[in-house]
Amino acid sequence: MKIATPDAAKSRRSRSSEAVILFRIGVQTFAIAADAVQEIRSTDSLATAAIEMELAEVPKVRHLIERGHRTYYVVSGCAHFGLRVTRPTLVLILRQIRTAVLVDSIERMADVSRVHALPQAFQGAERQWYRGLTYLEDRVIPVIKPDGFLTSQEFARLDRAAKSIEPRHEFEGAVQA
Amino acid sequence: MSAVANHARKSWVLLHVGNRRFALPAESVIELAPPVRLHNFPHTSQLIAGVIVRRGRIVPVYDVAPILCGRESSVHRFYLIADRAFGVGTDASEASAIPVNGECELANSEMQPRDENAPLYFAGTLAIENENIDVLDLQKLVSSGGDNPSAASPAEARP
Repeated sequence: MKIATPDAAKSRRSRSSEAVILFRIGVQTFAIAADAVQEIRSTDSLATAAIEMELAEVPKVRHLIERGHRTYYVVSGCAHFGLRVTRPTLVLILRQIRTAVLVDSIERMADVSRVHALPQAFQGAERQWYRGLTYLEDRVIPVIKPDGFLTSQEFARLDRAAKSIEPRHEFEGAVQA
Repeated sequence: MSAVANHARKSWVLLHVGNRRFALPAESVIELAPPVRLHNFPHTSQLIAGVIVRRGRIVPVYDVAPILCGRESSVHRFYLIADRAFGVGTDASEASAIPVNGECELANSEMQPRDENAPLYFAGTLAIENENIDVLDLQKLVSSGGDNPSAASPAEARP
């Protein structure tokens, strides 16, 4: 008989559960895998770094930010999920995906043991939005698909629009200097 | 064998939606669930009022009252959970809930063909206690949301 060591138990626990960040947009709580988020910043701290952009085809993006030589498009969580407009205070900068998401607040971190598949009944845009659903402390919480905020076509449009902004921005910077 | 003949002399669960009675084949009904918490989150799918959690499963809830009664039903006390078939195949069905007012009963009857002018989500009718009760085809019913002007707009996410 083998007796489980604390390390083995920890390893088993980490295999069977997943760390998520619970965040809120309006009254709605969402979960996102903790390892999908690179950084959480306040909107105030990014205000000076954010460059305004407006693209009629992608109205949920109104800013871009440059981080480590990469362009991140800032998606309004309210607009993306069709929720009532709120005043976001935080930006989730995602890992590996050039997307940052405006959210209202972080609730806390949690370990979830299971992500249920989204029922087949859901056939709309939510199939792109969510990886699935988790049941946590008597609440069903949608688990976000990090690459579901912007499609490849939207990225292409935004990249084209961003290119036209860059020279203007550099020129303005040069004039200020 | 036709679907009508196949359903003849079977057991049916009679349920109340709004102030009308409807029937579902008893073999498709899983349980009558108590008024558990309805959870909601943003989505754009028509007719879905949210989800409930039953026996460790997450079950979508279809608000079919606007289609069947033409308005929201104010009396939602229980959830009738039935299998919704999505197509041919073993994994092609899903437990689905309909809010009902709780007065469900079992009946044995022979299903008659539906009236040719009746909506396609009625599979036929049962003559029970001097009443003609429409038999629901759950798959067609919940797929017909777009045909009904009173159903939720697909363009607006439902928080």
